[in-house]
Order: sequence, then structure tokens, then C-alpha cells
Amino acid sequence: MPIDKTFNRRQLLKTTAAVGAAGAFVASTPSILRAAEPDKPSEIIVRAWGGPWVEALKNGVSDRFTAETGIRVIHDLTEDNEIQPKVWAAVAQGRTPPIHINWDTTTNATKSALRGVCEDLSDLSNIAGTTDLAKPVGVEGYPIVNTYGYVYVLAYRPSAFPDGPPKSYHDLLDPKFKGRLAFYNDGIGFHFPAQVAGGGSLDGIPDAMDPAWEFITKMKAQNPLLGEDPDFVTWFQNGEIDAACTISTNALGAKKNGVDIAWTVPDEGAKFDTDGLWIPKGHSEGDLYWSKAYINSALTKESQQIWLDGLGLPGVVPGLTPPPGMAGDPAYPTKPEDFERLIRISGQVQVENESEWFSKFKTIMQG
Amino acid sequence: MNRPRSQQIVYWSLVILTLLTLSAPTFVVLGASFTSGNIIQFPPDGFSLKWYAAIIGEQNLRDAFGRSLIVATICVLVSLPTGTLAGIALSKFRIRGANAIQIYLLLPFTIPLIGSGIGLMLAFGDAGILGNLWPIGIATAVINLPFMIWAVSSSAVGLDPDLELAAQSCGAGPVQTFFSVTLPAVAPGVITGSLLMFILSLNEFLVSLLLVDARIVTLPVQIYNSIRSIITPDLAAVSVVFIVVAMLAIAALDKLVGLEIFLKSK
Amino acid sequence: MQRSPSSYPLMWRVMDALEAAFAAIWPKGGGKYTPYLMLTPAIVLVGTLVVGLLYIGDSSLRTLDKSTFQFSEFWTLENYVRAFSEPFIFTVVWRSLMGAVIVTIVTLMLAFPYAYVMVRTPNAFLRKFLLIALFLPFFIGQVVRAYGWLIILGNQGIVNDVLGLVGVEPLRLLFNYPAVLFGLVQYMLPFAVLMLAPALTAIPEEIEAAAGSLGASWVETMTHVVLPMAKPGLIGAGLVVLTLSLTDFAMPAILGGGTQDFIANAIYDQFFRTSDQGFGATLALLLIALGSMLVGVVFAVFGAGTLALDGSQK
Repeated sequence: MPIDKTFNRRQLLKTTAAVGAAGAFVASTPSILRAAEPDKPSEIIVRAWGGPWVEALKNGVSDRFTAETGIRVIHDLTEDNEIQPKVWAAVAQGRTPPIHINWDTTTNATKSALRGVCEDLSDLSNIAGTTDLAKPVGVEGYPIVNTYGYVYVLAYRPSAFPDGPPKSYHDLLDPKFKGRLAFYNDGIGFHFPAQVAGGGSLDGIPDAMDPAWEFITKMKAQNPLLGEDPDFVTWFQNGEIDAACTISTNALGAKKNGVDIAWTVPDEGAKFDTDGLWIPKGHSEGDLYWSKAYINSALTKESQQIWLDGLGLPGVVPGLTPPPGMAGDPAYPTKPEDFERLIRISGQVQVENESEWFSKFKTIMQG
Repeated sequence: MNRPRSQQIVYWSLVILTLLTLSAPTFVVLGASFTSGNIIQFPPDGFSLKWYAAIIGEQNLRDAFGRSLIVATICVLVSLPTGTLAGIALSKFRIRGANAIQIYLLLPFTIPLIGSGIGLMLAFGDAGILGNLWPIGIATAVINLPFMIWAVSSSAVGLDPDLELAAQSCGAGPVQTFFSVTLPAVAPGVITGSLLMFILSLNEFLVSLLLVDARIVTLPVQIYNSIRSIITPDLAAVSVVFIVVAMLAIAALDKLVGLEIFLKSK
Repeated sequence: MQRSPSSYPLMWRVMDALEAAFAAIWPKGGGKYTPYLMLTPAIVLVGTLVVGLLYIGDSSLRTLDKSTFQFSEFWTLENYVRAFSEPFIFTVVWRSLMGAVIVTIVTLMLAFPYAYVMVRTPNAFLRKFLLIALFLPFFIGQVVRAYGWLIILGNQGIVNDVLGLVGVEPLRLLFNYPAVLFGLVQYMLPFAVLMLAPALTAIPEEIEAAAGSLGASWVETMTHVVLPMAKPGLIGAGLVVLTLSLTDFAMPAILGGGTQDFIANAIYDQFFRTSDQGFGATLALLLIALGSMLVGVVFAVFGAGTLALDGSQK
């Protein structure tokens, strides 16, 4: 029995898509006319990252949604990449997916969109009020709505850099940082600055990335640690590392826990990426309608403000007030010139080449 | 029996080394749970019970724990008869192709848990039974089954075939012989095995992760997911609650059957 | 057993009914099938995993199309070719295999004296203490336990604090191969001791005394008397430790600092990170084949230990 039965199920998917479009039509009509609102589910399940992430989502979006609609929101804290095979299998097997809404990295979500497991969200009324950032690159329509951006900064412990912040990734090749550096275990966020640091150009992505691999090989000699989001916080807290290429939110988290930490965008630039929300196919009409309503409410200015204050990240609705201390921060880009030093590569190029970059990085680091 | 001093020294130093290795993380977790700070550290930063207060207030955790107990109970109900019969069969009889059967029955250990999890998710998904707790109980029973079989077959060494013959020559049928002679002889193994199965099922997270959804999440999955974000002392407190429950279970077992039962093969 | 007289007939009736039912479905002379019948439930139960393996096997024969993230409609051996040609996979397989062997040896060397002292001590309190120390770690999951080690062995951890008192610079004790192996040994110890203890109990203490009185030193008694007699237990424990550490995922992930992946971690990456279920499935099947072959070799060389006390041992 093949795992992948999507082809046999195209017909079914078409049907659900039609039902979904009908639901969306209702969603976009003014609320006084909502006599035809489909039945409310008693609860919807939103996948979220734990700790400060889910806390921020709850305050900014979920609690407000519950207050407005009376629908309880359950947060499923399974990791985004661990929920993916579960959702894919459910759609392929024609089962109801385990979650209503996936809060996902845009790259990961793009894979699901290409595979055709995402509901189209083009008809959400609040998309009209969003910036370009909300639109996913490299896919048709809105299978995903991006909800904010983030930067893979170079976070560092100021006490380890008495002469001021590191200006370049080359500064980290100093022997005194041997064993004191950390990267993501798939190298994500570091591939592109490494391409620049190795003397290559961003146009060389994805076809001419030898400069990146050469620079990463040099970095390997420094014996860096490799981990995921929680590891960085732990390592900074426990004094295991002096510098790391990580999402600014992690650095902010460590800072809130009293760790002396700062961050910068080095000369090579820093990868900018987005996270988004999407709905897997296979839900009933009512569930889909109210899941869309949830995402729509996440795009209101009020929800974005509270949610993103918690994360310290720039949203997709114009006119948000930066969280305390983040105005003008390189990790809080808002104006075009802020983006000049940031590297943004299309989601499609990323998903098509990611596994190759990943295995190259692993081969170098694990060798 | 008097033992030479050199043997005493060698053995005891190894035993103490083992004891330290076994217990060190337990003590650290125990200590860290009483911290008044916000991060796990040892020695703890001050003393407070706030993390215990935090987890007691968590309806989610209590529900998850209740579900874990159900899963572990189902696991024992499934694996106890299955593993007991297999354990007795493997130790009592000469079986053709025994080695092949052994390799087959060790599959739960040779298949990486992620493989088992994905495979069971697809199989259970096609069968339309996901979303219930009992498939998780069955899954944890399968992936730990070798422990149950082992526990029974190791205690069956002491099973004396003459006793069974004696029972039958006194007129007992095969069913009565099994329940009155065979089963009591392997009882220590059955108890050890069941307890192990219960504990392992109660703590299983990797396969369960793929079989639960947010409505039926079990405690270890909840803990695993929380650890993936940021590790806070409430997880240490949860572990300590686990340890306390374990102590009570062990004390109960000691009262009921005596802990020595784990050390007997007859 | 004390029964009230009135319950006797009921008990008898139940027993008679059971015996009659058994005789009805079980033909006379069917005794030679008894062991197979007893094995059937276990074989069926493990069969659920085999059904899962069929799905995995199917996936392993399909490649991922990265422009649609669908798997190929046709079967191909491409994933297997890739598995055997990527040097990274070889590195990881070799690391897991060596790790599993080292962990097995070290665990048995530590578990044996522990089990021995626990079984032989005349002090009931000490015996209980050793048993409880064995059971408690089970209740803190593997992940939390690994986290405990991060605190103990970290740069600012307890061990380095103590070393600092005597003027030693902080040592990097974590995030390397030995740290992963150490974590695995700690995880496996309770399993190994619990499996060894019954085997040691079965060895009469008088035999050791006899060997001693005939002039054997304790080392000679151990190597020539106790170890050979404990062989079934050692093999059973060894197999469990070997297979479980070969397929372990959490310890390399947490204590390895991301640079000490075992095969299970590589499989995890394919399933969950690069979404390539096909290649992940291939690696999983190769790992199962490797593990089963190891088990087969152990059976062939040492016999099946406590896991197969088949009639031949009587």
C-alpha cells in the first residue's frame, strides 16, 4: 500500500476545495449578514511552538479569538517538522488532520503547499490590509499567509568581545572561540552569509555555492556546537558558547532570563525569513470556516501588536509599534533600508535545495 | 561466605561508581525542582515550591497523566498474556526455527523507534483507529514486548517439567495444569515484566508522539514537546512527581509480593 | 488455598467447561503444535510492526520530487544506491555500530558486579536499596535525564565547579562521542542489571564456595565458574543493550551537541527535516537489517541466552 495516495484522492481534494471556497465566501461577508454561518466547532487545534512562543500567540490571537467566537483554542506543541508527516499522512489517507491551523516556518509550509495539502486563503478579508511580506513567494495564491519576519542574527556574549561586537563571521575564526560557537544543526541561517564570507555572491545561490562550503569547512575547524532553538538559549544560559547564528527571538529569550547577550548583523548580512499560518485540507466545512476566521483575526492590527510584542518581531500589518527596545534594532527591520543588509531567498529555491544544503552541511560538520 | 578483600574492593568500587552514575541526574532534577529562579540549575537558586504549585494548577498536565495511566494499563493488559505465553513457549519447548523466531520477536528492538512510529501511524491511520488511546497502548506493548518475553522466559528456567507431568497424572487437564502449575512457577517473571512494561509505557514519547493528537496527548509527549521550547523547572517538578509515584508503586509492590521477587529465577 | 465448600462445584464446573472447550478445539495429539500456538499472540502483536514495515518498505522504493514534494509513482532502488554511496551515511553507521559495541561491553562490566553484589549480599536492606536505585531512573524520562547530565557535566556544571576548586580550567566534558556513550551506558544499566540478576540467582553460592575451597582465587572462580554459568543472562542483557543503543536517538541528539549523530538521528532528519520519507525509510530498513544481523551473529556465536532457553538446554 503506497503511503502517498494523493493522486487517487485528487477528486476528493477538489471537492473539499470547493466546499472551502463556499465557506470563505461566507467569511468575507459582513458579520450582520452571518445568518448562514456554519456550525461552530467547540474547539480548534492550533499547532504552536512552546514556551514564550505559544504564550505570545495565546495572548495576541487565541484568547481574543475565543472571547469573540466562544470557540476554545487548543495549542498542540508538537514541533513544526514533527507534525508535518502526521498532517501529510492524514491528508493522503483521507483522514481529518490532527490540527486545524499550522503555525509553521514559511519554508516548511511551502513544501506542504507544493504538495497540495494547504487550503487556499486568498479570500481572507484582512489580507487586503497587509504588506507584501504576507504573500508567500514561489507559490500560487495564498496557501500560506506569512504573519511576521525574523532575522538570523549573530548573537554574542559581550564579555567575550571586549573590542566591540563581531563585525564579520571571519572574526569567529579566532582560535579563542574554538568550541565556543553554535549553529543550527542543519546550518539554516548560516548558509547564505557563509556564501558571502567565503567570497561568493548571493547570485551563486543555489548553483555556485562552493564559497559557502569552503567557509563552513573553515568554521568546522572551530568545533562549533550544533542545535535547535532551545539549545541556543540553554547554551548561552550555561555559559557553553560565546557566539551563535540564531533567530533573534532566542537571543531575546535568553536576555529576558538575565543572560548578558547582544546581537548584530555582520558585514556578510543576515538571512531574513518569515513564519506563517496555514490550514491543512480535510476539515469539515464548519471547521474550515472557523479556522479561516482564526487566521483572519491573526491579521488584525490589535492581534499582531500583542502577538509580536511577545516575540519581538516585525509584523505584516503597517503601523505597528515596535516592542520596547526593538525600534531601530537590526533584528526589527521595517524600512526598505533596514532590509539592505538582510538576505531574502525565495521559498521555492529554498525548499528545492534545502535538503542538499543540509546534507552538505552535515557531511562537513559530522565528518 | 567470606570474600577476599581485593574482591570486595573491586566490586564495591564498581558498584559505587554505578550507583553514582544511576542516581546523579535524579538528584540534580530533584534539587532543580525546588529552585525559586526561572531556569533549571543546580544547586538551585533559593528554595521554593512555586513550580509544584504551578504544575498542580495545570489541568492539562493532570489530564495528560491520567491518559498516560490508561495507556500504560492497556499496554500491560495486552503484553502480559502475550509475553507470558511466548516466554513459556520459548523456554519450555524445543522449537524448530527458534533462532529465526527470536530474531523476529526482537524486531521491536531492532527497528528504530522512529521507524516503528511512522509505520504504526500509517497502519493505524489506514485502519481508521487513530485518535483513540488504545492503539497507543498496543503500540507501547509491541515496542517493549521483548522485555516481557525475556522476563518470563528467564524465570521459566526453574520450571520443572516433572511437576507438570505429576499434575497431569493426578487427573488435571492441560488448562488446569497451566493455571495451577506452570503459571505460578513463572509468576516472578510475569510480575517483573509487567512492572517494566508499565513503567516503559508510562514514559514512552517517540512513538506516542506520532500517534496522539492534541486532544489525547500523553504526559511524556507533553514533556518532550515542552522541552523542545525552553526547559523550565516545572518539568523537573513533574519528574519529581513521577519519582514519588514510582516510590509509592515500589513500596506497594514490596508489601504485596516482596521486592526479592526480582532476584529470583524460581 | 482455602475455598469455601460452596465454591468448589462452581470452580469445578468452570474448569470442566474450560477443559471441554479446550479438548473440543484442540485435536488429540495436537500437542506438538502447542508451542507454536502459544507463540501466536506474540507473533501477531509484533505483526503490527511488520505491517508498518510494509509501508516503510514501499516508501523506501520511491524518490522525492522536490518541485511537488510528492513521491514517485514507480519503484526504484535509487535510495539504496544513495545510502551506500554517501560517505556521511557510512560515518554515521560506523559511529553507531562502534558505539553500540562499546556501550554493551562497558554496561555489562558495570552491571555484572552490581547484580552480583545485589544478589549475593546477605543484607536485605542493602539489596532493597540497590534495587530501588535501579528503578528510580526509569521514572525520569530519557530526555530529562540527559538534561540532568547537561547540568552536571556542563562548563559551569558541578563537575567543573569541583575541578575549579583544585585549579583546573573548565573542561569540555559534553558534546562529544564519549559523552554520548556515557549517557547511553547510564540509560542501559538498569535494563542490564535486571536481566542479569535472575541468571546470577540461579547459580548456587555453594559452587563458588567449592571452587574457593579447591584453591581457586576469586578471579579464577569468577572467570571459570560464575561467568560461564551466567552466560545466558549476559547474552540476554547484552543483546538488549546492543540493539537499544544501536537504534537510540535521544542521547546522541542531546549529549552529542549535534555533531555525534547515530543512524536514528539521520533517519529522523530525513523523515522530519528534509521531508524525504523515502530515503528515511531506506535508512530505517538498513538499520533493521544491520541490527537483525548482529542479533543473528550473537545467536550463532554464543547461543540464545535467556531469550531462548529452548528444550536443548535442559
